[in-house]
Amino acid sequence: MPNKSGDVYGLTILSPIIEDEKATPSHDLQIRDHLAKLSTREDSPFAQAPGTHLARLVVMDDVIYVGMPACEEHLQSKYLVFESNCDGDLDGYLRSLVDTIPDHLDAIWKHCVGYPGAANRQAFIDYMKACQLDTTFYFAAVNDKSVSETLRALQTQTAVADFIATHQGADAATLQREFLQFVALLKSQPPPRPGSMGPHRYIKTGGRNE
Amino acid sequence: MSNINGKVYAMNAITPMKPWKTWILRGFFFLLGHIKPLQKDLIDLSFIEFARWVVLPRKGFPFLGNSQVKEDLKYDYLLFFSNFNGTWNQYIDAFSAVLSKGLNLVWRWSEKFPGSVPVTSFKEYIARVQFDTDYYFTAYPHATANDIKSAHIVQSSLDQLSLVAEQCSPQQFADAYLRFVLQVQSHLGETGEAPIAG
Repeated sequence: MPNKSGDVYGLTILSPIIEDEKATPSHDLQIRDHLAKLSTREDSPFAQAPGTHLARLVVMDDVIYVGMPACEEHLQSKYLVFESNCDGDLDGYLRSLVDTIPDHLDAIWKHCVGYPGAANRQAFIDYMKACQLDTTFYFAAVNDKSVSETLRALQTQTAVADFIATHQGADAATLQREFLQFVALLKSQPPPRPGSMGPHRYIKTGGRNE
Repeated sequence: MSNINGKVYAMNAITPMKPWKTWILRGFFFLLGHIKPLQKDLIDLSFIEFARWVVLPRKGFPFLGNSQVKEDLKYDYLLFFSNFNGTWNQYIDAFSAVLSKGLNLVWRWSEKFPGSVPVTSFKEYIARVQFDTDYYFTAYPHATANDIKSAHIVQSSLDQLSLVAEQCSPQQFADAYLRFVLQVQSHLGETGEAPIAG
C-alpha cells in the first residue's frame, strides 16, 4: 500500500480553502497568519498529539507554469496541504488528532470548504479522508520505529556516549555495578518531549560551516 | 514561512504532466516500490528522513461541493514532498550527482524538465516549481536521519547488553562491555543545534 512504508503512514491531505471576496483578510492569509504564530517546538499541537514524526502545512496558491510550450492554467481554489509522517493506521492517527488538539484543528481548517469541525469526531475523519490523496511512492529512512521509540533511542545515544566517556579505565566490578545503575536510571527517565531540541550540550565549534 | 526546522528542510514541488504520461510514471513507481534494490541509491543518500511523490490526476483534486468551483485542468500534476538534512544546494547537488538516472525517470514526464544533469538547469527548474512551507514540525529537530539510524543501533546494542549484564561475572561483563563499545563507537555522534550553513 503506497501510503505506508513499514509501520509509518504517509498522509497527504489537500483541503480547498474558502474563496470569499468579503473576507478581509482572505481565508488563505488568515491560515498563513495563524500558522506563522504557531510553535514548532514542544508546545506545538503536533507534539501534543501522539505519533507525528514530521508534519507540514502549506498553502498552495496555484499550480506552477513552467513556461512555453507548456499550457498555462490555474486552479479555481487555493488548497491547504497537510503532509504528515505518522505512526500506525490512518483512523487511529486522525482520532488522536481530534481527541487531543480539536481547537487547533478548528483554528486552521475552519477556513476550508466543507470543514465540519472537530466536535463531531466521525465527521472530521470523513472530511479528512475526502480530502486525502493517495501517495504514489513513499520512502521512509527508518520505517519500523515509533516516535517515542526514536526519542527514547536518541536519549539513550547521548547517555551512552557520556557513560562510555566517564568509565574509561574503570575496573570490571565497578563497571558492571555502575552500568546496571545507569540502565535502571535510563529506564526510569521519561523520553524527551516531541519537538524538543534535546539536552543542551557544549559543542566545540570552529568548523568551516560556522 | 519556514522551510527549515532544526536539522531538517521541507521541500514542496509541483510539476505538470500530460495525462497519458502519468501512467508510465505510475509504472515506474510501482517497480521502485516492489523491487527493493532499485531503492539502494535513495537509501544510500542517507540524509532523507521521509520523501513522497503523489501523482494528482487533473480530475482528482478534492471537490467538496458547497461554494467550491470544480477544477478544470489540462495537466495531471506530480507533487513531491521531501524532508531532508542539510541545505537546499547540498540536497539538489547530491540528488543530481547520485540519483541522476532515477530522477530523470521520475521527472522526465513533467513538462519542460531539463534533465538532472547538468545541475545548473536542474536547479533552475526545481527553484521554479518549488513552493514554500508555512508550518513545519519535527518530533526530533536536533537529529538527522543518520543520527536516528545510529541511535536505534545504540539502543538495540544496549538492550542486548542489559539482558546479560546481571547474570555474568564482572570479568565476563567487562568483555561483553568492550564488545558493546566496539559495536556502538561509530554511532555516538553528537546531536544538537544545526551548524549555520551559508
